[in-house]
Amino acid sequence: MKYSYITPHKKTPFTQEVQLLISFFSITIIMLFSTYLFLLYKDYNFQKDKNQLLNTQVKLKENIAAMQTKIEYINKQEALGEKVQTQNTVLKDSISNLFDLVPQRITLSQAKLLKNGLILYGITPNKDIYNFMLQAPLRSIFQETYSSFYPAQNGWLNFVSTNYMHDDMNDEVTNNED
Amino acid sequence: MKINISRHYLYILLVSLFLFLFVLLFAFLVLIPEGKEYREKRMELKKTTIKVNKYQNFYDETLGTLKDLQSKDRHIIAGFDNIFNPDRFEKQHKTYFSSLSLSKISKVEDENEFAVYEVNTTSRISSPTNFYNFLDAVNKSDWIIGVNFPINFKRDGEMIDSSFTMKVYCNNKDSNATASKSENK
Repeated sequence: MKYSYITPHKKTPFTQEVQLLISFFSITIIMLFSTYLFLLYKDYNFQKDKNQLLNTQVKLKENIAAMQTKIEYINKQEALGEKVQTQNTVLKDSISNLFDLVPQRITLSQAKLLKNGLILYGITPNKDIYNFMLQAPLRSIFQETYSSFYPAQNGWLNFVSTNYMHDDMNDEVTNNED
Repeated sequence: MKINISRHYLYILLVSLFLFLFVLLFAFLVLIPEGKEYREKRMELKKTTIKVNKYQNFYDETLGTLKDLQSKDRHIIAGFDNIFNPDRFEKQHKTYFSSLSLSKISKVEDENEFAVYEVNTTSRISSPTNFYNFLDAVNKSDWIIGVNFPINFKRDGEMIDSSFTMKVYCNNKDSNATASKSENK
């Protein structure tokens, strides 16, 4: 038996108002969550990048320290190498000057170059030539000069000239050479 | 006054209120603190990047200095690295002498972190000029060598017998290890 002329509609709780409400809040919540997820993702990325940068920083620090040690060592090598080369050059000049110092009339038979002294053995026609032409310049270089003579077979005089420089003077000369 | 709201609208109102509260609480309690953290982390990253860039620049600068030094002092560095070989030394320098012989190498005290070996040398030269040329050649040799006192010259007829001490400088094993280590990096 029919009580109504219209066909009955099935009632649903999702009325148009509810649908509108749900869609509005769904969009809002989706936006909020997506923003939250975006922030979480960016935070994670920032942290990851920061950790990578910190690792790079540690490696750079270690490499810089190692290179500085190496630079320091090379500087030491350079300083010592140049010092040794300068000493060799100075030694060459010193020996050259020493042989130039000896006059033609005096003949050297032996020369001993010490760290702070010089011992010369040789032969001279007489004491005066030795005193004026060899001992005088030696006296101007060395602080202590001793000479001894003994006769040679040909009537000339064998001499031994021992010359010393004080250590402080020697250091000064060495420093000037450096 | 009586407010007449249907049950349906009351539910809608309650749901709306609940969702609104949820949105509000989520925004203030979760989203805003997270946003703050995001800003802080972004700033920290920026600061770290600037700091790392500074380190990178300093690293490049130091590497440049090291490369310059290595190329400028190549001969000296190689000289310290080479192990002294008496036979090779004699072969290289015998042209300056009529005869040249080296005694056994003995290690003396280290100098400025470097190992020092002493070599006694006896030789025979025809004129002092040969000795000067030898001293020039020693500075260009494969080793760091300093001719040292005492030096003795003795006339023997037309020749001069000479004897002198040479100091050979080379890297200490420890320093060598450090240097190689830093080179590998």
